[in-house]
Amino acid sequence: MAPEAILSHLHRADGSATYTHNGYCIIGAVNGPIEVLRRDEMPEEATVEVNVRPAVGVGSPKERHLETLLHSTLRSIILTRSIPRTLVQITLQVRSLPDEESSTGVSPSLLLLPHLLHTSLLALLSASIPLSTTLTAVLIALPSTNTATASTQLLSPTAQELLRAKPIRSAHVFAFSGEGKLLLNESDGTFSYEEWDEAAEAAQEVCCKEDGGVGLGEGMEVDGREGQNLDDWLRSVVRTKVGHEQRWKSTS
Amino acid sequence: MPLDTSTYSLALLRLDGRRWNELRNIHAQISTQAAADGSSYLEMGNTKVLCTVTGPAEGRQSGQRGGKDNEAKVEVEIGFAGFSGLERRKRKNDKRTSEMQHTLETAYSSLLLTHLYPHSTITLNIHILSQDGSLLAACINAATLALIDAGIPMTDYLVACTAASSATSAESDNSDPLLDLNNLEEQELSFLTVGTLGRSDRVSVLIMETRVRMERVEGMLAVGIDGCKRMREILDRVVKEYGQRFS
Amino acid sequence: MPQEAQISVNERAFIQDALKEQLRLDGRAFDAFRPLELTFGDEYGVADVQLGKTRVIARISVDVTTPLPERKFDGVFQIITEFSPMASPAFEVGRPTNAEVVLSRILEKAIRRSNALDTESLCIIAGLKCFALRADVHVIDHDGGLIDASCIAVMAALQHFRRPDVLVEGEKATVLSIRERDPIPLSILHQPLCVTFSYFEEGELFLVDSNLAEEQVRDGEVIITMNRHGEVCQIAKYGGAPVEPYALFNLTSLALQKVKEMSKFIQERLDEDAKRRNAGGLLAELSAENDRPFDRPVG
Repeated sequence: MAPEAILSHLHRADGSATYTHNGYCIIGAVNGPIEVLRRDEMPEEATVEVNVRPAVGVGSPKERHLETLLHSTLRSIILTRSIPRTLVQITLQVRSLPDEESSTGVSPSLLLLPHLLHTSLLALLSASIPLSTTLTAVLIALPSTNTATASTQLLSPTAQELLRAKPIRSAHVFAFSGEGKLLLNESDGTFSYEEWDEAAEAAQEVCCKEDGGVGLGEGMEVDGREGQNLDDWLRSVVRTKVGHEQRWKSTS
Repeated sequence: MPLDTSTYSLALLRLDGRRWNELRNIHAQISTQAAADGSSYLEMGNTKVLCTVTGPAEGRQSGQRGGKDNEAKVEVEIGFAGFSGLERRKRKNDKRTSEMQHTLETAYSSLLLTHLYPHSTITLNIHILSQDGSLLAACINAATLALIDAGIPMTDYLVACTAASSATSAESDNSDPLLDLNNLEEQELSFLTVGTLGRSDRVSVLIMETRVRMERVEGMLAVGIDGCKRMREILDRVVKEYGQRFS
Repeated sequence: MPQEAQISVNERAFIQDALKEQLRLDGRAFDAFRPLELTFGDEYGVADVQLGKTRVIARISVDVTTPLPERKFDGVFQIITEFSPMASPAFEVGRPTNAEVVLSRILEKAIRRSNALDTESLCIIAGLKCFALRADVHVIDHDGGLIDASCIAVMAALQHFRRPDVLVEGEKATVLSIRERDPIPLSILHQPLCVTFSYFEEGELFLVDSNLAEEQVRDGEVIITMNRHGEVCQIAKYGGAPVEPYALFNLTSLALQKVKEMSKFIQERLDEDAKRRNAGGLLAELSAENDRPFDRPVG
């Protein structure tokens, strides 16, 4: 299933997005560029602040770890030097998680990471923060079978799929920029270099391979056509939103 | 229930021998701390509170922390002495204390003529030496005295008092309101703290934390306001006695 | 942490002048709430409340722990309110603002201290095992009226929540998953709801459910928590301009009327949701909820 996204639906925040995919629902909000605290101020670039808030309870080291990952990734795509001495504040509130999440045997932060990345990107786009490129991310899980071939790779699996394919030997999250460059990789579990290489290739295909990339299974529909990659999905989301905002122009 | 209130309906005397509308013994002093700009010491029964006022002065961090262009900022800090309660327990800065601080801050920032001191901070430091009920009321009364001592202009005395409804269950009809509660009564009965402006009936602070029938509130409030008036007379006497020294 | 944007002098004067002419900027009556919207998620115990532009999500979750030594027969119930910068850039994580302290204290007094939830029913084995219930309040969008909206959200979520059933055999307790046994609703003793009154003109004018701009202009607030049976659970007036005492009695009767309306609305939404979940009418036959006697804590 393709992810679903609603953009700019919050009134208070400068930009916002709600992202729903595979049972995960995340609300993202971006405030920026705004006034920055004196101690965080940097003379030549903007400060980026990421807050991840879990559905239940207050932030724990797991959230801090995710914040660090998101912070370094997003900082590399935000044009921080064009808005110096300001603050870009990104808040991601996890609204719901699939019930089976805890029993999949995969690190929950890896499961969450691609969704958080997409939400924050959509929120940044909604807030019109200058970005150097877009970003797409995907989770790949390798179940422990005797012969690890490309066919056993689970691309962006749902929690139920993971549960069925248990035990999972390794899980990888890849994020690619709009130009198809690798931005972030987090891997967990035991795997050989070849496996990682295959996984990276598959991930790149899902994220940004030009025409005829491997779709995210059936039902992945973008603009009525099937078999699109995540980059196209992202573009279509933004296109719909811009189209909606410009409707006063097009109808008249 | 920790204690039995049934004795009240027999003799109409409370645990400490008071009638329903009697205040506890109140002892107040003003100008107790020479170093502070204003200070006071107040005892309401066994609740003992010390209050000092600093200011109007420059805030701790000049520029950022002070008040705005047109008014002074009122800051309140409440500290509990380790020996103040029955159990010697270290109280962190918990939410209940923050709430009391917030109450005093908002009450006094509208009462004091803060527009006379732009960009400055008025700090109230309250030390609770002994707790035996009516804590918020004692803090408000002590703060009023200390502010008078500091000579900060205000429109009227802000005085506070507690009042309770003696009926514990909804069915019983003997709902005699009680005035000025001690700790034991506070734990058992539903009560409210009311703070009024001097001689008028106007209510500035009203905090009620326990569940009670809405018909009861009226009686409790009336008794509380009456108590506030008497409290004002007591405080006024303290201020005037102190003033005589200089005449 | 940037400062909260202050309302401009012109805007302040405009709101005040309009109020003098008995007008609110959004055209509401003085005693009218903004349109209230309440939705439930697919999971049990998640309530999404929208009050005008304000949006609050409350989420109930449950865990098993040992009860507190001084309260052996009670379960644990916590309400957690932590503001995030999502609601306003002025909210900083880890440093509670006054608004946050007030919100959490009011919810504590309104719901926990007034015993809206029967914590004894959360006990599994006295002194050994009990359920720890927590309500997380997430403020998603902030346009005033946070206390009212949060209280509705928490109460609706509590009523919507179903806790897993437990099987107790002597000292051994087994928590049965939702698939094994139908989960049980919590035992709610009464339904407290908050109504915040903002007053203007030195306490002469009262507004119900003010938005953020009105909140910034107001002289003070009175928060009244009541249930529909006419019991006042909590009153809080933190300073501000003084008001006549008889005005406060009018407020309680007005609050009662509002609380009755809101309770009815919440109940309607809960019924709708139950109907939606029970689409085939099958659940009613399978459920043992009605004939289950009230669960007494063991021990």
